[in-house]
Amino acid sequence: MSILDQVEMPQPVKFILNWGRKYSLWVMNFGLACCAIELIATSTSKHDFMRLGVIPIAHGPRQADLMVVAGTLTDKMAPALKRVYEQMPDPKYVISFGSCSNCGGPYWDSYSVTKGVDQIVPVDVYVPGCPPRPEALLHGIIRLQEKIQKEDIREKWSGRLTQAPLTS
Amino acid sequence: MAGSRKRLSPADIAERLRAQFGDEVLSTEEVHGHPVATVSPARYAEIASFLRDEPELDFDFFDFLTAVDYRPKDRGFEVTTHLYSTRLNHHVRLKVECDAEDPRCPSISHVWPGANWFEREAWELFGITFEGHPHLVKLVLPEQFEGHPLRKDFALMTREAKPWPGAVEGEEIEE
Repeated sequence: MSILDQVEMPQPVKFILNWGRKYSLWVMNFGLACCAIELIATSTSKHDFMRLGVIPIAHGPRQADLMVVAGTLTDKMAPALKRVYEQMPDPKYVISFGSCSNCGGPYWDSYSVTKGVDQIVPVDVYVPGCPPRPEALLHGIIRLQEKIQKEDIREKWSGRLTQAPLTS
Repeated sequence: MAGSRKRLSPADIAERLRAQFGDEVLSTEEVHGHPVATVSPARYAEIASFLRDEPELDFDFFDFLTAVDYRPKDRGFEVTTHLYSTRLNHHVRLKVECDAEDPRCPSISHVWPGANWFEREAWELFGITFEGHPHLVKLVLPEQFEGHPLRKDFALMTREAKPWPGAVEGEEIEE
């Protein structure tokens, strides 16, 4: 794809590349339920995740680096989530925000709810809570940034999963 | 505009229905300040038209339609229709009892077009066939979904794996 794929980069170059990427996360708002309100609150002035370099809100999946799935994913909505994820350019990250998107939450026995978005897309960070507070999302973003900083860009861009998912 | 018309009491509405349809109104009661009339399926659509067109009743607003699964306690399904008059500010609920094995109910979507989607929803969630409905196809469920999920005998995959830890029927809580 590029020189990054072919040549092992020196450590300082890797550091600066990852440092730049982790503070420039354009977020795709996949708000599905009440958790979306907490996500929006995190983007506004009081909590303000722009100070962490998360830029709200990408105009579409093609401009986004990070997707926050906030809310209850139904089986009927699942193909749309998959499609939006596939439209995002690599390298891309997913935060599963709230109990519903983690595992189905209070709808654990529902006939219509997908029991965890990790069945549909790979998840980098799980944020527990029902709904989680904005601080929890900020913590999840910091965990994701730690992960990006440690990442080997050759492996990430080759599409292989390099690190196990985290819990905020 | 409705100088001579006024809000009717639940008892008056039930009385008007019984006076007009006699034995076709199987029973009436008052629940939470609203009249509830159980009517025969054969004249359900006709009763609905009467409630809409009669100036003293004037039920111009179709509020909602839903169904209840009473099986297996000697009863089948029941379709409930809630009507409201925006001009006279009174309510009425109509109930139609349906068979447990092959539930069928006449459609009233020609009386209130708003009933169309509610009947489609009740059809897919409870499996009640609304006879005379113009377009009885799935509304909210995914296309590949099989079964009627709000029926009591619908098997939930998750509960097959892990049974519900609390009370199953409401009566267990009341005791």
